[in-house]
Amino acid sequence: MTTATPHVHPAQEVPSDDPRVQLDEAVGVFEPIPPYPPRTERESEFYTLGDGEMYINMGPQHPSTHGVLRIVLKLDGENVVDLDPVLGYLHRGVEKLCENADYHHTIAYLDPLEYISSLFCEWPGVLAFEKLLDVEVPRRAEYIRVLSTELNRILSHSLFMGWMALDLGGLTPILWSFIERDEIAEMLAALTGQRLLFNYLRIGGVNGDLNHEFLSRLGDWMTRATTQIENNLGLLNENEIFVRRMRGLGILDKETAFRMAVTGPNLRASGVPLDFRRAHPYSVFPELEFDIPTRDECDCLARYLVRLDEIKQSLRIIDQCLHNMPDGPIMAKLPRLLRPRPGRAYAAVEGPRGQYAAYVVSDGTDQPFRMRIHDPSFVHLQSVGVLMPGHLIADAMAVMASLDPIMGGVDK
Amino acid sequence: MALKKNARSGHGTGSGDATAAGSDAPGNQPAALTVTQTAVAEPIVVANSLWRSTDPNAYQGSLEPDVTHLREVEASGIARHDDARWSGALDVIPTKADYVLDLIRANSLWPLLSGLACCAMEMMSSATSRNDMDRWGMFPFRASPRQADVLIVAGTLTTKMAGPLVRLWEQMPEPKWCVAMGDCTCSGGRYKRSYATIEGIDRVMPVDVYVPGCPPRPEGLIYGMMKLQQLVKDRRGHWPDRAVGPTVPEDV
Amino acid sequence: MDAALKRRLQTRFGAQLIAPIHQRHDETEIRIGPGDVPDVCRALHDEPAFGFTLLADLAGVDTGDVMQVVYHLWSETSPDWLRVVADGLSREDPRVPSITFLWKGAEWMEREAYDMFGITFEGNRDLRRIYMPPDYQSFPLRKDFFLPDDAARSPGAGVRHMEQSHAPTNARSATMIRKTRA
Repeated sequence: MTTATPHVHPAQEVPSDDPRVQLDEAVGVFEPIPPYPPRTERESEFYTLGDGEMYINMGPQHPSTHGVLRIVLKLDGENVVDLDPVLGYLHRGVEKLCENADYHHTIAYLDPLEYISSLFCEWPGVLAFEKLLDVEVPRRAEYIRVLSTELNRILSHSLFMGWMALDLGGLTPILWSFIERDEIAEMLAALTGQRLLFNYLRIGGVNGDLNHEFLSRLGDWMTRATTQIENNLGLLNENEIFVRRMRGLGILDKETAFRMAVTGPNLRASGVPLDFRRAHPYSVFPELEFDIPTRDECDCLARYLVRLDEIKQSLRIIDQCLHNMPDGPIMAKLPRLLRPRPGRAYAAVEGPRGQYAAYVVSDGTDQPFRMRIHDPSFVHLQSVGVLMPGHLIADAMAVMASLDPIMGGVDK
Repeated sequence: MALKKNARSGHGTGSGDATAAGSDAPGNQPAALTVTQTAVAEPIVVANSLWRSTDPNAYQGSLEPDVTHLREVEASGIARHDDARWSGALDVIPTKADYVLDLIRANSLWPLLSGLACCAMEMMSSATSRNDMDRWGMFPFRASPRQADVLIVAGTLTTKMAGPLVRLWEQMPEPKWCVAMGDCTCSGGRYKRSYATIEGIDRVMPVDVYVPGCPPRPEGLIYGMMKLQQLVKDRRGHWPDRAVGPTVPEDV
Repeated sequence: MDAALKRRLQTRFGAQLIAPIHQRHDETEIRIGPGDVPDVCRALHDEPAFGFTLLADLAGVDTGDVMQVVYHLWSETSPDWLRVVADGLSREDPRVPSITFLWKGAEWMEREAYDMFGITFEGNRDLRRIYMPPDYQSFPLRKDFFLPDDAARSPGAGVRHMEQSHAPTNARSATMIRKTRA
């Protein structure tokens, strides 16, 4: 061949209908710079290099990305100038699968979204279905729901503490976190049958009643919990390196937080005492006494400390639930085949990461017409684009860890 | 390339099974494991006599699968499909050195950090204090594929992630093994009908051990890793010429 | 059920509403046309009588006849969730103005609605696919996208499929996509 044909990347030519697309040449998965011309304004702004800048691709497999997240960093030396997160490496099509499933089956689909706080992923879906069906949940079931979800919150926050330290380089706290997490997971396994993806909440109640093994494990753990947690936290709170690194890092002030639609502990660490358990009460939270920890500093250390205070408040709530547990059924009487009235319902709960919500459109049949899942990690991950630029790479990872994203929820 | 299994052999454990006998014990012929002059470009297809599809055109009319990307990698010779023996002269005579090498490899399998989704939580849980995988040498979860031995795929494999994951697998140097952890990697799991997932990683890479569960308990993963250790000691893992593809009967 | 909110919304936005205000449980719902979205959202965000400063959710819905974009807002002035439904987008070329000028956090939510439905948000500076690979051709959550489907054109193709990627022989035809009055 005398004339060299210019290499046209497969992404730039019209994709053929031949199903045998080679994996190696899938678009953009190996190259930081996409091989097609920029398609949006932001893409062209990002993929234009200034003087002395370079791209580093923190690919989907990376120890610090909390799952499969790909971030293309634009660096000037060690400073992050700009970043482009690429999602979708864990997109499993949950919303579409829910449209083809019964109302009961969707609960199992909602679990693995934020796999650490599974009960919080199930809860808004179940609440929305109960609104559509006008079901009243028995009080005992509500108390058991609150009890198990507050345990899940403690589990999630313990793991957050471990990962926060891991992203800063400390290897011990993650091991201690997993000890905590394993104890609570065994407890919840005694109650729900599963360590991780609980599939426990049902439309109209919960799946199984409290049993002896769960209560004995819970009582055992509660006697040690406060001192154990204080010891674990003392490992980090009194660590000068940890505190000095985190203080003043990643300032997310109140206006920016509202602009980025941030909720949950990230918002409360920016001075806004917004907690949906008090602001828009659901379940039996009006009867329970607890405080809403809020901090004004807006930095990573504040986000960390807010979550620690939430662990203590959760212990208080669990205590009250155990003392005030009413008797009664754990499940409302519902027909096996559920056909809600046609309509729409939205329900939101306050989870360890923020607002978990579900918007359900029903057309009167036994399958949801549209099941929209709103996930806090998805929304919070946008904030890294606002918070990370200007920091060093190591601090940038600390900022992302302090927002506590879970990629299962980000990618649905 | 199959092991000689006698009638008493079962699922890989137990007194009658090949794993109980060392690779140099009499009656067990490691030379049978030696890859002789096979055409690497053609995968060895085990004829399917257990079941048949109702549609004669399904599964490409019972033709062999054409997973071309792996085939080209094999054909180019960069993936030498031996299991890292020292030299050709030792191919015929199994030595104690081989046995020691296998033992060394089995007891210090370094996994690659490849936690994709929920199963990664249980993988981390099996690596931390309560269920300690460090007891079998698997403590360092390497971040770089160049330093890892075993790829524990934990979590759903989506179509977008398939490319990077296969690239990771190809970057790992020989000898390497692959553990499919969790239902999503074994067969697609609860995301079987989804438009964006790969139903089982054995569609894109050869798998040595399948650990079912959603998610499997840490003890389950540890059991799978111990099975993998037996495979390593017996050189049954990582068949480069094994046909890649689903092997589930029709009525499952 | 906040009757005061309903009165305030009726007096302020009466001209832009295309359907009566619907209230049930703790939700209030208003329906507007897609062109009114920026004005209505800005009014809800800025005016102190409303004060809906928290964007809780942004979703696309394909009813089978039309497309909708549904916004959920929260305010301290009302115990209800406010649902703003931008109704009447065509299924062939759905377009709606973007609200990223008010809430930058809506950018990714709009990208997701584009990725799943094909809804173009005019004014979003970064409207590209977020979940599916960039060269993906279909919009998965549309009602004319059937499962299992389109797997052949994904980067994971080229491997032997357990199920054949064709519309099932007894599938409903394209004229019978699932519809609802939502």
